[in-house]
Amino acid sequence: MKRVSLTINGEKYARDVSEHKTLLHFLREDLGLTGTKEGCGAGECGACTIMMNGKAVNSCLVLAVEADGAELETIEGVAKGGTLSKVQDAFHRRHAVQCGFCTPGMVISATDLLRRVPNPTREQIVEGIEGNFCRCTGYEQIIEAIQDAAGGGAGRAAATPKENQ
Amino acid sequence: MLHGFSYHSPTSLDELLSLLDAHREKAVVFSGGTDLFVAIRAGLAKPEHVIDLKKVPDLAKLAFDEANGLHIGATVTVNQLVEYPTVRDRYPVLRVAGDELATFQLRNRATVVGNIVTASPCGDMGSPLLCLGATVTLVSARGSRTMPIKEFITGVKKTQIAPNEIVSAITVPADHIDAAGGYKKLKRIKGHDLGVVSVAAIKSKSARRFAISSAAPTPVLLEDFPIDVDVDRVQESAQKAISPIDDVRCTAEYRSFMVNVFIKRLLGEVA
Repeated sequence: MKRVSLTINGEKYARDVSEHKTLLHFLREDLGLTGTKEGCGAGECGACTIMMNGKAVNSCLVLAVEADGAELETIEGVAKGGTLSKVQDAFHRRHAVQCGFCTPGMVISATDLLRRVPNPTREQIVEGIEGNFCRCTGYEQIIEAIQDAAGGGAGRAAATPKENQ
Repeated sequence: MLHGFSYHSPTSLDELLSLLDAHREKAVVFSGGTDLFVAIRAGLAKPEHVIDLKKVPDLAKLAFDEANGLHIGATVTVNQLVEYPTVRDRYPVLRVAGDELATFQLRNRATVVGNIVTASPCGDMGSPLLCLGATVTLVSARGSRTMPIKEFITGVKKTQIAPNEIVSAITVPADHIDAAGGYKKLKRIKGHDLGVVSVAAIKSKSARRFAISSAAPTPVLLEDFPIDVDVDRVQESAQKAISPIDDVRCTAEYRSFMVNVFIKRLLGEVA
């Protein structure tokens, strides 16, 4: 066991944790933060995406002990005071959620993308969520929701293929 | 849950190297963990000691100067590399190949050195670094040595690294700075897919170079070609140099075919 102290969604935590426990399992099992999902557990699906020190990472491939001293942001911290973030609100309005399993990771990746690229083109959105699998929606509603959250502009101007027809 | 191991996080190179010297085959070093934790989870790696490199300041260096070239420390991530202004503006082959590697989240953790040390035939950094004549520096508690990547990678997931050594850095000589470059990768989907076959190309002032991945046990560098070389000559040389196999992702025949297609496209595009 090793002691880890870290900040998650602005709150400080200190816990003893097994050295071989993944950060994902630490969040879910030790801290009860079950919003972050485990899909493949091998860095392929992105369901476990969280922000660690300002970078999007697959938390299934990070050890909890590596997060000692880190600042994390998980899906639980995205809505503030009961108000959905722009991205969450757009996912809601655009029906970008079906089964919902990929949604926490997808929202984290989309939020990170819009921080880096405030007005992404459709192609940049597709690349921005390349690490997040969705097996329900076919991605179209998710892409539209991210375009919406970006607030129109270049994002909306790049029409979807459907709108071109 | 991963199998039990002890985690170490040394804060100096000396501390790291003596840990490694003490534990040797029982220890494994990591930075991004994007290969290691997948292997541990699958039961393919069972280290007793897992040593994190990220708190060793010497290994985090990413720097360029005309005399020494580009220094890529062991813990430099692929995203750090592709966002580094010198790489972005002056080493296009590295930028394009780096962007093709796995997904954005994985590139935030995966390191350039890790991609070379893993020595997978389908690694994305091998062929561009071969084109650029890059070398690896190996260090242990007993000293250090430097060798070309071409010699370092000896087979499928095999390198010249000794159990008490780490690759502390990759050095890209400044010889081919500002060389035009390109990288073509055949894969089934965009994002997190292993390359089915890929070709890297640079064009410097005096020569063209091509290197091929996923078509032999190691990435393969072809001989230097004159700038105005015709496509047949490069394709012929490539076909002699590769030894593709049939596997779950593709047939050998299709790999050979696509190598020629990519060479033709790169000859046109890398101008």
